[in-house]
Formats: sequence, C-alpha cells, structure tokens
Amino acid sequence: MMAGVTEAIDLRTMAAERCHDPYLRCAFYGAAQTAMGVSGSCVLAHSPQGCYQLVEIAFGWQSEDYTQTEILCTKLCEDEIVYGGETALAKTIMEAKSLKVPAMFVLSACGPEIVGDNISAVCDEMRKKVDFKIIPIECAGFRGSQYDGVDIALDALLKRLAVDHKRKIPNSVCLIAPHANANPTWMADLAWVKGALAMLGANVVATLTHRTTLSEFENVTSAEKSIVLSYDAGQKAADHLSREFGIEQLCRGIPLPIGFTNVRRWLTALGEALDAAGVAERMAAEGERMVVEQCRRKGFDLFSLSRLSTAIVADATIGIPLIRLATEDLEMVPVLISLRSSGKAAEEVMGNELRDLRLNPSIVFHTDVYRTRRSLAEVRPKTVFGSNIEKHAAEGLDGVEYVFQLINPIQRFRMIDREYFGYTGILNLFESIQNDFWDRYRSKRKRYEARW
Amino acid sequence: MHLERIVFKGTLQQLLDKVERGEMIPKLQASHAPPCKFWTAFMVINGIRHTVPIVHGPTGCTYSVASAYKMGSCEYRGVPLEPTACTSLGEANVIYGGERELLEAIREADVKYHPDLIVVLSSCCSGIIGDDVETVAREAKGMVKARVLAIRSEGFGGDFRSGYEDAFSAIMDLMDPPEKKMEDTINILGARVGPTYTEWAEDLDEIHRLVNAIGAKINAVIAGGCTLEQIRRAREVELNASWCYDWGQKIGQLMEERYGIPYSRTGQPYGLRATEEWIIGVAGPLGLERQAVDLIRKETGLVTDEVQYLRQFFGGKTAIVEVTEYPGPIRALSLASMAEEFGAHPVVVNIHPYTIKERMPSIKFLLKQGQNPEVILTKGLFSLGTFRSSLETEEELKAIVAEYDDAIYLGNPRRYPDVPMVNLTTSTGYPHYGYRGIRNIATLAKSAMQNSTRPRSKLFQQVLYG
Repeated sequence: MMAGVTEAIDLRTMAAERCHDPYLRCAFYGAAQTAMGVSGSCVLAHSPQGCYQLVEIAFGWQSEDYTQTEILCTKLCEDEIVYGGETALAKTIMEAKSLKVPAMFVLSACGPEIVGDNISAVCDEMRKKVDFKIIPIECAGFRGSQYDGVDIALDALLKRLAVDHKRKIPNSVCLIAPHANANPTWMADLAWVKGALAMLGANVVATLTHRTTLSEFENVTSAEKSIVLSYDAGQKAADHLSREFGIEQLCRGIPLPIGFTNVRRWLTALGEALDAAGVAERMAAEGERMVVEQCRRKGFDLFSLSRLSTAIVADATIGIPLIRLATEDLEMVPVLISLRSSGKAAEEVMGNELRDLRLNPSIVFHTDVYRTRRSLAEVRPKTVFGSNIEKHAAEGLDGVEYVFQLINPIQRFRMIDREYFGYTGILNLFESIQNDFWDRYRSKRKRYEARW
Repeated sequence: MHLERIVFKGTLQQLLDKVERGEMIPKLQASHAPPCKFWTAFMVINGIRHTVPIVHGPTGCTYSVASAYKMGSCEYRGVPLEPTACTSLGEANVIYGGERELLEAIREADVKYHPDLIVVLSSCCSGIIGDDVETVAREAKGMVKARVLAIRSEGFGGDFRSGYEDAFSAIMDLMDPPEKKMEDTINILGARVGPTYTEWAEDLDEIHRLVNAIGAKINAVIAGGCTLEQIRRAREVELNASWCYDWGQKIGQLMEERYGIPYSRTGQPYGLRATEEWIIGVAGPLGLERQAVDLIRKETGLVTDEVQYLRQFFGGKTAIVEVTEYPGPIRALSLASMAEEFGAHPVVVNIHPYTIKERMPSIKFLLKQGQNPEVILTKGLFSLGTFRSSLETEEELKAIVAEYDDAIYLGNPRRYPDVPMVNLTTSTGYPHYGYRGIRNIATLAKSAMQNSTRPRSKLFQQVLYG
C-alpha cells in the first residue's frame, strides 16, 4: 500500500474521472491573460465580482505596470442574471469613456453567456458612442481551460484587429502565445527569442501577446513567418495565420529551446529558415562555451544528480524540453512525465523525444493534483522537476527526496525575469536546481545552543 | 481641502442611513470589488480539516481559491496540502446539466481522499442551469462514508457577506445534539480561510491565552482549523464568543436561537476597554468573573507603561484611520474606538459605502455599542479603475490631514501623510488584540512618533503613485 493512499485506483481508468483538483484556471482567465498583453488596454469583465479576481491575477501574469492598465467589472448580481446584463454592460462601457484608453476588451464570464447576453451586439452598438475600439471576447469559464481561453482570445483579436496587408516584410516573424508558458518569468524567454531572432536578422512584427500595441495586431499579416512559443496554446492562431495569410510556421515539431541540444536544434532550424545558418552555428557554439565556462567558474555541482530517477510535472511548453535537459545534460532518468495539458502537437513531439532518448516513463496528460500525487506515490522518483504544488503534494511520500521548483507556482520571489530558453536559461535552471538541492541539506535545527 | 473633493462628511450613523436608502453605492464602479459569495463561502469551508470542497463548476473558480487560500495555508501556516476539487463543468454540462457528474464526483472524492466531510459549492454555472446541489448532496449521503453538505454559493447570488453567512449556517447541520455540557468551554466563532489560518494567527493566539487564563477552554475555532469532531460537539459548550464580531455574529445568533447557547456579543479586543469587555463577555456567562477581574488587574498592571504612552500619543489628537485598502472596515472601526479610548478624536477616512452595505448588521451593532466616529469620504474612492482610485485617495488623504494641526495617521505604509504614521500592517506588529496587542500598538506608535519627520522614500512614492 502506498503511503498516503489507502485504496488503489487504476491510473489508466482515471481519464473518466469526475472529481478534479485542477492545476489550470478556466478559459476566462486565459482570455484575460491574452487581452492584458495588449499595451494600455482596458479589460472589462462582464461578470460577477469574483471573476474580477481572475482578471487581476491575469494582470500579474502579463507583468503589467498597474498604473497603465485599467480593469473594470460589471459586477453582475441576481437581477442581471434574471433580466440580463446588457444594460449594465452598456453603462459600464460609457463610464469608461473617462479613462481615455485606446481599446477595451470585453470578456464575458459563465453567467452572462448562459443567460444569453449578446456582448457582440452591445459592443457594436456602443462603438458608435465611444472613441476607442471595443473587442468582445466570448470566453466563459465553461468553454475550457486557460489554454483554451488563450486560443479563444487570440482568435477574437486576430479576426477583429488583423488587417490583410497582402505585402510581406522580408524576414519578418510574428511570435505567438509567449504567455502560455509556466516559467514564472516567461517574459524573459520571450526576450531571449527576440534577441536571438535579431541576431539572425529577423524582424519581429508582432507578439501575440505581451506589451503588444494595437498597430502590431494590425500589421501581423505582414509577417512572413510565425513561431509558436508554447505547446499548450497558440497553435490554432498559427494555423489561422497560415491558412488565411500564408504565414509559414517555423520550428514546428521541435521542443522549445531549453537545454543544450534543444537550443542548438532550435537555432539551427531558425538559421536555415532565415538564411543565417552560419550565424546560428556561431550562436550555438558561443552559447555552449559560455555555459561550460560559467559552470567551471561558479561552482556548478549537480554531478550527484547523475542516474537519479526524476519526474517532470509541468506544462507541455517547459515540460517537454526538460526531458532532454534532464536526460542528456544532467544524466538523470525521467521515469514520470505528468503534463498539465495535452494536444496533438505536444503528444507528437514528446513521443519523438522519448523514442530518441530511449526513455519509457509513465505518462500522464491533463494531470490534476490528485493524479500527480498518485503518480508520484506509484513511481517514487528521487527527484521532481515541478512547482510548489508538488513540493506540498509529495510530502509524506518516502523516497521522493527533492522537488525542484521551476514551474509556476514557485515559492520564490523573482524581481528579475529569468529565462529558461537559451544558454543563460540553462544556467538559470541549474541555479534554481542547485539551490533547491542544497536547501534540502541545510540544518533545520541547532544541535546545541551557543554560549554568547 | 477643497470641498468639491469631499463626497461625504458626517457620522457613521449618517453614512449608514444613506446606504440604507440606497445612496452612495455605485453599481458599476470597479475599483472596489471584493470577492464574490463563492470565494467567501470557500474561505469558511477551507477552515475545516480533512474536508474536500467540490466546486460544482469550471476550473477557474476552483484553482483560484485553492491558489489563494489552500497554498497560503500550506506555505505559511504549516498546513498539509489537501484537495480542492471540482466537477470541471464544460459546455455539454451547461446544456444538459451536471447533476449526475456531481453525484459521481462526490462518490469519487470519498474513495480518493477519505475525507471526514465533503462540501459541495455551487458556482454561477451550476446555479444558473438549475443543478440542485442540495438534493444531490442528500442523495449522496447514503452512498459515501463522509458527511456531505451543499452550499448554494453561486457568485452572482449574493455579496461578500452572504457567502460566509451561508457557509456558517450550513456548518450548523453538522452539529450533533449535545450529550453533555462541556463545563467552562466555549467555541470561538467567525474564523475562516484555512486550518490554523485566520487573518492573523497571533490575534487568535492572544484569545487562546486570555481564555485559558480565566480557566476556560476552547472546544473549536469555527472555522479556523477545526475538525469535524469539534463541530459535532459544538453544541456541548456553555458559550459562544466571536473572534471577529462581523464574521461570527450570524452563526452565534443562530446557535443562540436554535440551541439556546448564549452568545457573547463583543467587538474586537483592541485597547484596554474592548479587551476587558471581551474577557468579561466570556467570563460572565461562565461564572468566572472573579478570575476575569484578577486577570484584567494583573494584565493591565503589566502594560501600564504602554497604556500611559498610548494616552500621551493619542491624547488631544485627531486620529485619521484609513481602511480603503487594508486591514478592513471592522478593524478600522475597532481602531477608531481604541483611539477614542486613549483620548483622540477619530476620523475614519474612505470606508467604502459598499462595505457598510455588506457589513450592515455588524455596523449597526457597533453603533449600538456607542461607536459612531466621524467619517469622511472623498471622490477618489469612487473613481473608476484601481490605480486611479488609489492615486486620488492618496492626494485627498494628504489634504485631509493638512486640515488638522495635530493629526496622527493609523493605516498602512502605502500612505505617507505628513504626520506620524502608525504602520498597522507590518507582520511584526501582531497581535493587535488583547494586552499583547496593546504592547505592540504602543511600539508601533513610538516608531511613528520618533520617525515622523523622516521623508518619504522616493522609490516607494514612485512605485506606488508614479
């Protein structure tokens, strides 16, 4: 019998479970994250006041300056649910005139969507009365997970804001769904990508979304190529841009650039696509040398992880490339891969990685906290690449010795954004892992009292 | 201060009258949006150990409350991680209903987690589509080992207050008829958020200390980390007392009406007078007055210097108490009362009419107790948008303070009026309750006075207000 578990449940049958302890928020939240990525935006939650809290959390996820972004809420109550909330919505949009914002995103929550509030019609009507753009996004929580919400919002934003320019800007790229990434400071990953693309001679015309201007949305169709920076969301937007505007997707089917091999593969693929193979090769060689030298200089000491079994409990975006980093760079043995989401693209790329690395771990897609605990209890890995949730969920599981907190939520405050992508990203990961590793050994009590 | 910036100036009673007439509550204003009914119901339920809350709704409501409260308790209160489950309602359920899935989820939770208690919480989704969570919970009772409760907590269905009141009412269904009386034993009512986690555990520790010191015991802190067993025996106590009058009063009144258990109606024990009232309010019905008098004499003697300092600090001053952001309106009124006790004229600034509406029974109680401070509300309080509101109220606060020759400010360090500022939100400054609270508040007041001429950090100023 497993510690902490008194009745066996077959993990294979758990796909049909009804009782979830989720890792992810709902579609409304994902849509709010996406809307908050538009600079100077005003997000109006057409919802009861509780959903407003979700928008505030989304605000933090986009690392927005709170002096520059406005969040409003229609604060729906019983009256609006019974008689409809369209009047409340129209009044709130009118009140927002005083804010002088360039655009307002109206997000509808479960309540108003079920009772049939037509937010598109209200926005159409109000557009004539205000001097800012109004973009309705029907993103009720019941429409899916936060990743579905990202896709819903990107779809709405592209359809409302993108203008077909017909003409392409040479070597131009648009970046999709950088925020669907569970690195707590994912914006540093985006910055690394932008820096790498600049070195490869590419021009980023739009980022969907992070500090994105309305004009970026309008110009997105002028991009020649797109890159999806997530395996959890964004693929639908890339498909739409490809289908409607002939924008070619790069790096498809390659894990995101985490760890030596993945960074090199990613840079090489970009180098070839952007006619800058030589530059890409130099970037990889210099980056690899920098990592090695830093490890020598700074007391890198993760050799003792060699051959330790590990579980990766993460989103697909970070979790999939971590498999290779753990296996190749740290000589560890992944025995459990537990991803918070799933999707055809993610499953394919992960399958390829596992075959290539000759690994046969237990795999859980769409995990929840219970399944994570069950899986950890069954597999008993020595180490876990995960989050603060696994740190607590693994308590009492003998044999699970280390939980490295890399994935949101983590318990450590970060003032500086730290990327996981690229070569500095490798060092950031090593730093976090090494700190967590040694924390485990810190004395928790003194054996005797000092005299002074 | 320019009069056009002042929206209201009068007494708490006058403000209450306006609110009762439906005035001053902007329906559309978004700068003040406290949690919905669902969140506050969850806060209460999360305070019962080995309970599985099953949110009959999508994952957004569920993960958010788990992240906010459950993980907070794990991280800072030494509480083990326990589940926060949901039925993960999707579009199909919205069309066809989700009662069957809910029943299956309850059965599954019982097998998976072996909880003492399962509490079904409805959300906006399940509320609107008409899923009858109460009937499903009743049906499940015969199928699972755990006790099962249901609370209609859809977010649109009520305000901040109704969530915790309904949750506390539901908890009463778990109380068994008493087999005996537990002598000199009380329940503390009105705690919430998580096992061992109330707003400040240090305040609860002080209450424990005072109760034990008069020779009484605490059966349960409902629901601040209590067990189902403690709730089952809750009717065996001799008296209920509140941790915070606002949160505890509903369940206290109901237990008094239904079960005849006396309820000590006392406010928060800030300062000497309120602490004495709190202690006597508990000791009197238990017949422990003598012990209480002894305790009060002894403890008062131990804080003589601090009380003397507080009288000097507050005496003849105008105490500007601000609650817009933190630590909540009831605490602010308790602080105002304490300031008055020590000789100040309290002026409560920018207590949102929305919070007056939500906490009306408690406000009325405090008025009946004689607490009727002056209140000033400014335009910034009603501004659209969180930052805008915060910036405007900062400027308005400075203007209000400048109107008085002898003001002191009780609030949070996000504000920096040009007078002694007592930082009541520092984590090293708790408890505020009881005698230990008097010591801590005196220390905070001393720091405020000794450092009153120091300039505002430019960094703080720019980060907060640009």
